[in-house]
Amino acid sequence: MTTSTAAVLGLVAMAVVSLGAGLFARRWARTTSDFMVAARAVPPRVNAAAISGEYLSAASFLGIAGLVMQFGYDVLWYPVCYAGGYLLLLLFIAGPLRRFGAYTIPDFAEGRFDSPRFRRLAVALVLVIGFFYALPQMKAAGLTVETASGLPYGVGIGIVAVVVVAGVVGGGMRGITFVQSLQFAVKLFAISVPAFLLLIHFSGTGVPFARGAGGLARLTTTTNFQVTRGELWQIPAATKVHVSRPADLRWQRQAPTASSGAPAAGFEGGTGPKGRVNASRANRLHLEGVGLVPKGTITWESSDLVTVARGQPAPFGSQTPASTTSAWMGPFGPLAGGTGHPLLFTYSLIMAILLGTIGLPHILVRFYTNPDAKASRRTALLVLVLLGAFYVWPPIFGALGRSYDPSLYGSNLTDAVVLILPSQLGAGWLGQTLSAIVAAGAFAAFTSTLSGLLVSLGGALGHDVYGRWLRPASGPTARRRAFQLSALGAGLAAGALGLLVERFDISVLVGWAFAIAASSFFPLLVLGIWWRRLTTLGASVGVALGGGIATCSIITTMVATVSTPLAAFLAHHSNLAVVLAQPAIVTVPIAFGCMVGISLLRPSPSAGVSAKMVQLHAPELLGLRREYIPD
Amino acid sequence: MSQQPPGALEGEAEVPPSTGLLEFEEQTEVGELYLRALMRRQWRLSLGVALTFTAFLLVQPLLAWWWPEWGVLRVVGIPVAWLVLGIGSYPLLIWLGSIYVRRAEEVDDEFTDLLR
Repeated sequence: MTTSTAAVLGLVAMAVVSLGAGLFARRWARTTSDFMVAARAVPPRVNAAAISGEYLSAASFLGIAGLVMQFGYDVLWYPVCYAGGYLLLLLFIAGPLRRFGAYTIPDFAEGRFDSPRFRRLAVALVLVIGFFYALPQMKAAGLTVETASGLPYGVGIGIVAVVVVAGVVGGGMRGITFVQSLQFAVKLFAISVPAFLLLIHFSGTGVPFARGAGGLARLTTTTNFQVTRGELWQIPAATKVHVSRPADLRWQRQAPTASSGAPAAGFEGGTGPKGRVNASRANRLHLEGVGLVPKGTITWESSDLVTVARGQPAPFGSQTPASTTSAWMGPFGPLAGGTGHPLLFTYSLIMAILLGTIGLPHILVRFYTNPDAKASRRTALLVLVLLGAFYVWPPIFGALGRSYDPSLYGSNLTDAVVLILPSQLGAGWLGQTLSAIVAAGAFAAFTSTLSGLLVSLGGALGHDVYGRWLRPASGPTARRRAFQLSALGAGLAAGALGLLVERFDISVLVGWAFAIAASSFFPLLVLGIWWRRLTTLGASVGVALGGGIATCSIITTMVATVSTPLAAFLAHHSNLAVVLAQPAIVTVPIAFGCMVGISLLRPSPSAGVSAKMVQLHAPELLGLRREYIPD
Repeated sequence: MSQQPPGALEGEAEVPPSTGLLEFEEQTEVGELYLRALMRRQWRLSLGVALTFTAFLLVQPLLAWWWPEWGVLRVVGIPVAWLVLGIGSYPLLIWLGSIYVRRAEEVDDEFTDLLR
């Protein structure tokens, strides 16, 4: 592990700036409205930067590069659909939702359908999606602090939880708006400049897509791996390894099932087991000094320091299916190709991310901070520009990582490629400075998204659970106290849960939050805004079924990674496994079908629906505006 | 109604109601027709732009499925499939977004002029 003073300095600087700016902004945040929606007094450019800052989470800053390094081309759908989802938000939601004056999804649910009961359902789903989205941010926090300073994973989570909770509890929405716009600038700088300099640095040694010798990722430096007992390695081609003391290991010829549920794909053909090993079902190997390990999968039976020389094929750890460069580079590579139904998987992934953006609870809040629908649309367009400028870069990091530091595959550290790759520029000032910059960028990424999520979660708990159900008679001060306490509680809970998800990929976790949002809130918002015949019953059943089935199938997939019988069952039913791991392609139509079907079968014409449509769609210049939120 | 003061943007009471606006506010059948026409225009605009971008996305997996060469094609050493999806998508998004914003504002303005 690289322990870099510069990276630690980058982290500390960003933590101090975030805390300081948040606390400084505290003196503006006086009323509940300031706290929740920044009193609509935020200039559009600052607002657009804040939206982008909040949207570009750890999944964007670290996760995409890590996944591109692991899986190649198929991962490009993530950044493109993250940005594309924002276009859909602009097209269908931005203007009307601002006019309606609903600033959270529960507000919209209640305001559009006059149903407090429906509001509760929406609050429950906000909590589910919010926590699912907070987990990968926490993982990123632990990973970043671990990579930069060598402190344990849990300590990083603790530090970040404290910084974020302090910012949210202290400054509220108004405070974090300014912090988040600042954090966007840090993130864009921290991803683009190092990627650009790395491109220049490596341009002398060939483009990252060069067909490597034999189509394998080969180590660029002699690398020491600390392996632990039970650790699994995939060997894509016969590899010479050096063990520090005699080691026993089990060897299997066939490709294993990776943690993501995708069987390894793209093993290079033709370089079968060599030397002294027979290709029976499972073999034992004994290594002393230098030994040749044949292509296949090995499990270390003792902890050891293993050295693999420069130029040898990079071993792959359990988290990444071993792949050849050509499989990695083309469509339907190890990510989609490994599922057995690449086209189905790809379309389901596109659907989840594209449609899920609209249903993310912390994204919609931002539209209310615009003065009117026109400003809301223009802000969203500006956000698209900023997102586009950012999302070009993370895949470049991933592609550079495969060519220039494939040792990360063996140590299961691909998620940290953005943090580690700058050290390839050497121990001089440039490498040190870039390490500090990317560490600061990563810190900005997860703190800004976590802040937004905590405002949403705190709002749902403090405003709804406390302010409406537990103590409906409570005053603004009590509610504000409840918001702060809820944000604190949510931060601690997310931190505790974050300790459990170390084994999952950041972007895969985020993909799940998107899938749940796409199957519940997306149809609710689109139909609720544009289809006047949608009934409360139809909307409730659609949200409950779509969101419920998506949540259950994702939990099943998570359980399958620790339960062998379930994993074996899913391995035999690959159709089911694909759908469970990426449920949007089934659950989005279910949600839409329920909403439309039930609304048509049991129509209940509401007298107020025309007035609601006027609120949603009539231009503000007509002067018909009635704010749903009176504050 | 063109002499309406700018301050009227925020307050409801200051807007002198015209016939169209009155129909609209009192939700008569005529007002209802106006609203439906506005919603239909905005919906078609949004849907058209959304389908354009979705088609751009959805065609690419099909292309790779039927024509595997798509994944191998290179320009100056960089795979074309990466360039189209990983870089080309963003200018397209921004271009579509700006077309939409301009047209949506036009539709809103025309509607406002019609009623006032």
